[in-house]
Amino acid sequence: MGEYRTQMKIIGDILSTTRDDLQDENGATVTYLIRKANISHSRISTLLKTLVSQGLLEQADSQGSNRYKISQSGREFLQAYNSFTKFADNFGLNI
Amino acid sequence: MEFLLENILNLVGFLVGLAIGIMAYIGFRNTGSPTLFRLTIAFVSISLGFFVIWSGYMVEDFLIKSGSIERSIQTVGIIIQTIGYFFIAFSHSIKSFFPKSNYFRSVGILPFFLVSTVQLEHIFRSISFILLVYGAIETMLSYRDNKNKGAISVSIGLALLAIGEFLGWYSFVFPESILYPISMIIKISGLIALFIPVSKVPLKKIKFDDDLDKI
Repeated sequence: MGEYRTQMKIIGDILSTTRDDLQDENGATVTYLIRKANISHSRISTLLKTLVSQGLLEQADSQGSNRYKISQSGREFLQAYNSFTKFADNFGLNI
Repeated sequence: MEFLLENILNLVGFLVGLAIGIMAYIGFRNTGSPTLFRLTIAFVSISLGFFVIWSGYMVEDFLIKSGSIERSIQTVGIIIQTIGYFFIAFSHSIKSFFPKSNYFRSVGILPFFLVSTVQLEHIFRSISFILLVYGAIETMLSYRDNKNKGAISVSIGLALLAIGEFLGWYSFVFPESILYPISMIIKISGLIALFIPVSKVPLKKIKFDDDLDKI
């Protein structure tokens, strides 16, 4: 059985992919993020909208498809997320 | 000796609880995580509980000078701490803490009107003990999944607080014995063990950002 992931963990996975694991410099496609973050299309669509509206991801139209790159706010959020994941791990908890 | 240990324990408890509570709050502000919100409530409550008891001792020592702390103040402090321990245990998903039966619900509140503050103190010390043991076991079990050595230290810290709480409660049976000072030393050790891994979490460059609250 797969490990249960909280919403926060899924957001962390999406942001990590857009920061560390991009296909090319134009950003990641939705299909690529679905594969990397292991999440359904309907769910990732909602999350991507939220992340773009919050300024954590930047959306660009490249080669006829939407592509996503992490923003400066997204990098700061990801840094905080990684730090506090360790903090919560110490208590045996997931953030 | 006992007075000095009480002061050290309550001051260390207040500072450690406050430090962890502030870190959890910064985490909550930056990530919006409900887990970090619960940890904030937990450690701010624990810190406040220690502070109330410490204040009681200070007021007694400098103003009242009766020779012993007001029992009700000690009880209030322990109740506030128990709320904190509850939120730690609750973060580990205690789902059936409150009784489901209507009968137990109806009588559940009655003991609070029937017992004295001394008995209340016993009740809350025993509840704290159970919550701390639960938290210690769950944290130790989490080590199997995340292999984070900090979890072992937190687990030992919670276990030492539980043992200290138990000895503190048991010392009522043998007043004036060495049990109570030992319980306080164990609790101080537990608080230090709790703080060690948390103090190593890198918090540099993390700033508040109101725009992230809605995530």
